[in-house]
Amino acid sequence: MERSVTPAGWQRLRRELFASRTDGLITLVLLGALLALGGGFLRWALFQAEWAVVRVNSTLFAVGRYPLDQQWRLWLLTALLAAATGLTWGLLRGRSCPRNDQIAAVLLAGLALAAPLFLQLSLAIQARWWLITALLLALRWGAGRWGDRLPQGWRRWLPLQWPLLYLLGMVLISGGLGLMAVRPSDWGGLLLTLVQSSFAILLCFPLGVALALGRRSELPLLRWGSVLYIEFIRGAPLITLLFLGQNILGFVLPGGLAPDRVWRAAWVLTFFAAAYVAEAVRSGLAAVPRGQMEAARALGLPVPQALIHVVLPQALRVALPATVGQFITLLQDTTLLSLIGLLDLLGVARTVMANPAFLGKNAEVYLLLAVLFWCCCAALGLGSRALETRLNPNTLSAARA
Amino acid sequence: MTNPSSSASGAVMIEARGVEKWYPNGFQALRGVDLTVRQGEVVVVMGPSGSGKSTFIRTFNALEDFQKGSIVVDGITLSNDVRNIDAVRREVGMVFQQFNLFPHLTVLENLTLAPVLVRKRPKAEVERQARQLLERVGIHEQADKYPGQLSGGQQQRVAIARSLSMEPRILLFDEPTSALDPEMVQEVLAVMQELAREGMTMVVVTHEVRFARQVAHRVVLMADGQVVEEAPPDQFFTNPQHERSKQFLSQIA
Repeated sequence: MERSVTPAGWQRLRRELFASRTDGLITLVLLGALLALGGGFLRWALFQAEWAVVRVNSTLFAVGRYPLDQQWRLWLLTALLAAATGLTWGLLRGRSCPRNDQIAAVLLAGLALAAPLFLQLSLAIQARWWLITALLLALRWGAGRWGDRLPQGWRRWLPLQWPLLYLLGMVLISGGLGLMAVRPSDWGGLLLTLVQSSFAILLCFPLGVALALGRRSELPLLRWGSVLYIEFIRGAPLITLLFLGQNILGFVLPGGLAPDRVWRAAWVLTFFAAAYVAEAVRSGLAAVPRGQMEAARALGLPVPQALIHVVLPQALRVALPATVGQFITLLQDTTLLSLIGLLDLLGVARTVMANPAFLGKNAEVYLLLAVLFWCCCAALGLGSRALETRLNPNTLSAARA
Repeated sequence: MTNPSSSASGAVMIEARGVEKWYPNGFQALRGVDLTVRQGEVVVVMGPSGSGKSTFIRTFNALEDFQKGSIVVDGITLSNDVRNIDAVRREVGMVFQQFNLFPHLTVLENLTLAPVLVRKRPKAEVERQARQLLERVGIHEQADKYPGQLSGGQQQRVAIARSLSMEPRILLFDEPTSALDPEMVQEVLAVMQELAREGMTMVVVTHEVRFARQVAHRVVLMADGQVVEEAPPDQFFTNPQHERSKQFLSQIA
């Protein structure tokens, strides 16, 4: 904003947008159209839309039919996730606080203040969101400032907090270890969407890497098995596979062993995404010159070690953007779960819109969905970009020095 | 500079007899090649492109397989037995035309990876040795850089140091200076010359006539998958016996 006010900025604006009379005319017309559209949208969102549908159903959208008296577990998990995010963020950045981080922090704080207020959620819930956001930002600041005082050994093991947190999160969500069990059929809304997609993302990645390696293997059985699997999955629409999974797993596995409907869907999503991840990883493997494997083998490394230490680190770095793109698709594909009767975000939205009390409030509900999905996908994209810069040897050396 | 006659008495390090290789498409790359390399000997293999010289030396550490004949390296018979292949690769180092350094690891990590993983030696000791090796090839200040930040000549010297980190008894060079800018060729050849002086057994595929004249004990000329001529460098370069040798020398002169 500030930059465009400088004389150079004005000159550039003039050069690019008002170079000739026609250019100026086009700019003005487009600007007018944008203002009209944006103004119309804002007028609708602020004055005409009735957000009561979101306020009344906010719990339903967030967690579905999760028992009210057990919801503290989810708040605890949210707080832990916020703490881990703040800690990792701060440690990655260190003392530096680039403009991007400042913008992100302000946006986050603004969102935590404004969104619950705008939706007129109860004061208790507003306060929780403020506290959680404050925790995240405080840890980001504290870890950035004093993170380098932590012993080196500690810092090396800190990334382990994420898998541990994931396991703890699954316990908190589903119960066990003394907590009351909450059946998966009671999970819903954003909670179900996130559980399904995170489970599928975590498992489809190693599976995809294994399939990609299998496809390049010299053993014919392994190679043709992988090709057959990948091409079969890629040739079938996900919705078909989801229906197939719901019906067939019950026949194939003996009664008690078949997972319930929610987990059946999660496994189908995993196996589906694995085939696409495999293709992304395969393109990464193809980008690593043959000489890398030869050099590793010539040094006496056995094939598995050569793959783990030499070929895969390079291949996965190349495959990262495509793989994360696949993860984002996977997240969006979870909306198909509503078609097999699960109450994911879209499923909840459909039940809400079917309620006569909220007739005609479709626009509000769909906008909420779009914003929630956009937030999740943006977070994935940001994480992937941070990882990409971190894995790039050219920026790595600067970071280590 | 060197004394060719002194090496002839050393133990046999590589013994190749009647090696024949076909590619899957039916093309015969090697047509019965024989070669004996003794300990401390430097053998330069020359020949036009497509003559099978790279393929031949790549059979010594089983990067290429072969269908007929036999190869014994340092007492180990090369066969399909995977344990034999791994054993041979631990004894034979290789330097490639394209360097093939690991771009995601630092120079130091390039050197320490194999000794730590394969020889299971303690990391601190391996690092100390790696720094000594880097000093030996003249790039110890670059230990913490990444290969992409070095010049071609420096990269190839790192590659030589990396192959030395496994303490091989034989070093194979597959056109080590062909991918280098002309002004960097000499720094790599100097390192190789130093290795030869220290008594390393080397088989070198190269077009560098000066290196062959000064360092090699024997020059082998290959053409069409066969050894055409094998002679001490003085004799080979001044008085080649075969028509193909004369033709080849006139082309590279």
